[in-house]
Amino acid sequence: MKVLVAVKRVIDYNVKVRVKPDNTGVDLANVKMAMNPFCEIAVEEAVRLKEKGVATEIVVVSIGPKAAQEQIRTALALGADRGIHIETDEEVQSLQAAKLLKAVVDKEEPKLVILGKQSIDTDNNQTGQMLAALAGMPQGTFASEVVVDGDKVNVTREVDGGLVTVQLNLPAVVTTDLRLNEPRYASLPNIMKAKKKPLDTQSPADLGVDLTPRLTTLKVEAPQTRKAGIKVGSVEELVDKLKNEAKVI
Amino acid sequence: MARDPIGLALATINRLAGAPWLDRFGLRKRAERLAFQGTRAGFHALAASSKGFKRARQLLPTQRLPGPSRQDLFDLSLSDEQQMIVDSLQRLAQEAIRPAAAIADEAGKLTPDLEAAINELGLIHYAVPAAFGGTAEHQSPVTSVLIGEQLAWGDMGIALAALSTLSVAQALTRWGSGHQQSRYLPEFCESDAEAPVATIAVDEPHPLFDPYHLHTRAHRTEHGFVLNGLKSSVVRASEARLLLVSADLENEGPRLFLVEPGAAGLACKPDPAMGVRAASTEQVALSDVALPEGALLGENDDFDYREFLDRSSLMRCALAIGCAQAVLDYVIPYCNEREAFGEPISHRQSVAFMISNIAIELDAMRLLTWRAASRAEQGLPFSRETALARLFCNEKAMEIGSQGVQLLGGHGFVKEHPVERWYRDLRSIAVLNGGLQA
Repeated sequence: MKVLVAVKRVIDYNVKVRVKPDNTGVDLANVKMAMNPFCEIAVEEAVRLKEKGVATEIVVVSIGPKAAQEQIRTALALGADRGIHIETDEEVQSLQAAKLLKAVVDKEEPKLVILGKQSIDTDNNQTGQMLAALAGMPQGTFASEVVVDGDKVNVTREVDGGLVTVQLNLPAVVTTDLRLNEPRYASLPNIMKAKKKPLDTQSPADLGVDLTPRLTTLKVEAPQTRKAGIKVGSVEELVDKLKNEAKVI
Repeated sequence: MARDPIGLALATINRLAGAPWLDRFGLRKRAERLAFQGTRAGFHALAASSKGFKRARQLLPTQRLPGPSRQDLFDLSLSDEQQMIVDSLQRLAQEAIRPAAAIADEAGKLTPDLEAAINELGLIHYAVPAAFGGTAEHQSPVTSVLIGEQLAWGDMGIALAALSTLSVAQALTRWGSGHQQSRYLPEFCESDAEAPVATIAVDEPHPLFDPYHLHTRAHRTEHGFVLNGLKSSVVRASEARLLLVSADLENEGPRLFLVEPGAAGLACKPDPAMGVRAASTEQVALSDVALPEGALLGENDDFDYREFLDRSSLMRCALAIGCAQAVLDYVIPYCNEREAFGEPISHRQSVAFMISNIAIELDAMRLLTWRAASRAEQGLPFSRETALARLFCNEKAMEIGSQGVQLLGGHGFVKEHPVERWYRDLRSIAVLNGGLQA
């Protein structure tokens, strides 16, 4: 069974992001980048499926600038077999990413596509769902357990009220939640081996996808900093402030 | 003058020790021997482990790693591969080593979980050529330094414990004969979970210890060598299945010998230190330890003791850098959040300047070390550069450790914060492994 895993290059989760002074976006200059943590979980799940003998080949795909190859190499070092890099310096929104992935799915015909539930930079939580819709595949999102059973896959999903288990026919799309697994560390021998694994580069044009954004970003702002509170001396003062300053009573 | 009983006793002992009549009656020698045996007590024989090295299955010719192709550019950026290694180790340091550091420090050893996590990384493969089951393609002192730094960011004692085996494997790859490599290297790579521990014994408990003038002696016999001496600060000696021991070989100067536990006359005892406690340092005593002919590392003239010491010095520098970086990463948020006089203490110049000095000195330590390591990698002489890096790291490691404690004030002194441990660990750089003389 072939498994396709999509990974995204994002700002490292340890980095404190800064908004550009002109409010057009987030400052990426000299910022440490890494693989989106949910994508790492997706790679780990695929590798575990391969170790169990369920998956036979893991193809990892990433969309982004040339540097996104670093994330593909990381996935290869974790155990993926080959990489596909769709190289573009343009902004790629969820729908365009889903269309690009759909083109890859058409070509590779994987039985299972595993993605992170969302990326920690834009927090859209859309790509997996859009891909499933475009490709006409069933979807199991926010997975906390994935069990492949013949030509079906049972996906336990984390929802507000608890857990829901859905059974999907393969081929299917699964998006990972935080508790699905704990990704391993890339070992040194595997990092060395990753260098020799094949990595194919394509352009969005090769796949016939138009990247024109459908959404426009108007303004990016940092969250408001919380102001320090004050202490009141008495209940009367509190009531007075609520009435005259905050005007809530 | 009134004196308390202890003072009185001390005065008596001092007078006794200084008494000329000890010499007159020929008692001093005996007293000294008594004292020596007193200190010898506590040693236990270093028994052969049930898991000794197997006989080499296949004898391969000597393997040496080539240097990488030379770069003419002055380029300090890491290669993709180095970056991935650093990233992977950083995660391990952050998620596995740092949380285990206080426990390992207290217990004076690694927890089995932590050791398994470190072994899974397969560090050792990086030192061993492909013919023996590793993945090393060329010599890589720079990557070794990066590995040391990242591990020591997690904890210096744990890093030292993890790196001892790697260093032995590197020495075997660098200078070992085909016989020695075939015997030991494959097993290092065989199973990551149960990789054998190996360690290096250079330091000796003598005043003004100089690694170039060893008190441990070796002389040639009909069948090989006989070693005598005492080694200190040996990382994980009683767990080791292979010890690389430095000794002064008669008429030939300092050399390294491969010693397996179980040899008669080999004993060790715990030698806990103020810092790097997770590395469980021990003393190793060798009395008439007989070694076979093949125990000498580097049969030919290609062995270079100075290079061996320089390479270990570079690793010490790397450990200092990693730990000092840990201090810097800790004090910045602390001083930005800790408030005194109604504002963060980092608004005080005495605090801000101290932190920026740490940052500047840390980068200087790193650059000096990288330059030396990169010269080593290119096969250029690197002894001078190593000496400069080591001296600077010795000094600044101590300073940064101390400043870390000072910046946290009372918090720096208590075990609630890791800074006191880093202070103790950083103190080791200037005293272990040749220390200030190196």
